[in-house]
Amino acid sequence: MTIPEFHEKLKNRKISAREAVVSYLDKIKKKNGELNAYLEVFEKDALERAKELDERIASGEEPEELWGVPLAIKDNILIRGKIASAASKILGNYVAPYDAFVVEKLKKAGAIFLGRTNMDEFAMGSSTENSAYGPTKNPRDLEKVPGGSSGGSAAAVAGGLTMAALGSDTGGSIRQPAAFCKVVGLKPTYGAVSRSGLIAMASSFDQIGPIAQTVEDAEILFNAIRGKDELDSTSWTSDIQVDVRRPLVKKIGIPKEYFGEGLDTQIKNGIDEVIKKLSKSYEIREINLPHTKYALSCYYVIVPAEVSSNMARYDGVRYGVRIEGGDLIDTYKKSRGDGIGLEVRRRILLGTYVLSAGYYDAYYSKAQKVRFLVKKDFADAFRGVDAILCPTVPTSPFKFGEKSDPLSMYLSDIYTIPANLAGVPALTLSSGVQIIAPHFREDILFSLGKEIEKSH
Amino acid sequence: MISKDDIEHLKDLARVEFGEKETEKLAKDLGDILGYMEQLKGVDVSNVLEMTHALEGAKNIFRKDSAESQRRGTAEPEAQSQLARELINAFPKKQDAGHGTYLKVKSIL
Repeated sequence: MTIPEFHEKLKNRKISAREAVVSYLDKIKKKNGELNAYLEVFEKDALERAKELDERIASGEEPEELWGVPLAIKDNILIRGKIASAASKILGNYVAPYDAFVVEKLKKAGAIFLGRTNMDEFAMGSSTENSAYGPTKNPRDLEKVPGGSSGGSAAAVAGGLTMAALGSDTGGSIRQPAAFCKVVGLKPTYGAVSRSGLIAMASSFDQIGPIAQTVEDAEILFNAIRGKDELDSTSWTSDIQVDVRRPLVKKIGIPKEYFGEGLDTQIKNGIDEVIKKLSKSYEIREINLPHTKYALSCYYVIVPAEVSSNMARYDGVRYGVRIEGGDLIDTYKKSRGDGIGLEVRRRILLGTYVLSAGYYDAYYSKAQKVRFLVKKDFADAFRGVDAILCPTVPTSPFKFGEKSDPLSMYLSDIYTIPANLAGVPALTLSSGVQIIAPHFREDILFSLGKEIEKSH
Repeated sequence: MISKDDIEHLKDLARVEFGEKETEKLAKDLGDILGYMEQLKGVDVSNVLEMTHALEGAKNIFRKDSAESQRRGTAEPEAQSQLARELINAFPKKQDAGHGTYLKVKSIL
């Protein structure tokens, strides 16, 4: 059931909020043991909230669009009074003292939170194998990873364990698991959604976004969570005026850099087929994003640099898990050594290295310049086309333990990272197609996404 | 490329402790990753400025220097002290003394 379908039924008293919540809770009880999509289920709260909404409807109130919509929330987004661990041991006991901006908005809109979902620790990873609480399985194939880092949210949507979910995307963490689990995922424009209450990984990249069954559901959720927030000075309400008299999309660009070596033939054929269908109603143009090949290197300099800084706050002093040492420094080292997992340590050390005196210019400064060039590639491309269409992932989902060296894992985000570097919005469809649009033009993504979804 | 001693130094800078085996593994990993990043050397960045924000025309925004936030409802004194209580509850170690509860840490000096 999609959000509009549920809303219609709720409005016409064909279903109650309670019935919807109970049906998902049942499904979670049956399947979560196997999938490990949820780290915690908020059964009591969800039922209470449903009861309250049902009573309001019974008393004659007209339900709003998100009333009673059951949602799963990634474990790095704060819900007041609930644990938010970012799937890390060091935050295993951390109870959120406030709501994230998006959570506050969704609560006001009447949505119901079913639980918090599994992820790679602190959102670092592409398979959910880096969770301190065990990996999530892909509901489409239990032998395979669901992708990551928002693997729990994507698996919950794909497995029917929620109507929709929230994830976060720093280098592909919404879109890659959406592609692996065959659901829809949106990484909004940087700044379109407030990061207040999102446990930070790399602050100049992180964005919260929806994972859903359909493009329309993703659009509804995006509209519910976006907007300026005084507690995130990088958040923004776009004032772009759309000319409704002209079609949103006429020209679609196909970046040839995304179709080179390393792209799985089956995925390529799938995308080619979509392009062929689209060529009947749109002008298809081959375009160049010449700095694409440097995106991964650029990303893995800047992100660990930001990570090493953001992770410095987890020291066991004011919150989280503390392991007492001989003195304060020793306490820091023991708490962090025990509470933070391998991939996060790897990035902390890498970030510390690239920011060290003597290496700063060669790595960090250079990467920030290359980041500018990647962003410029997109700006240049969007002068000639309205949207860009490409694959989300180079390969189909892999098996657990298959990518044990870090570089091969990093490479699975090669097609998603450039959008984060440039801050542009990108939408992954359940077919694995990725659409990229200019800043704050999510409307283009939804419009074209629905077209492709219809014909698929 | 990256030696075990380099990793020991980084561990110290980053205030994180772990064993010999992992130190060796991370020396190798970091060497591989930095090796991959060598390709950045090939990019011509003459006349290119460092990117500082994802959006064009973004400028710095200041907010009032205040503990209050109308949005979170913490402007009310009761809500403020409730938030303070929750933050204190999160302390891994605390001790009541005098007029309040204190965060307890190992001696610094």
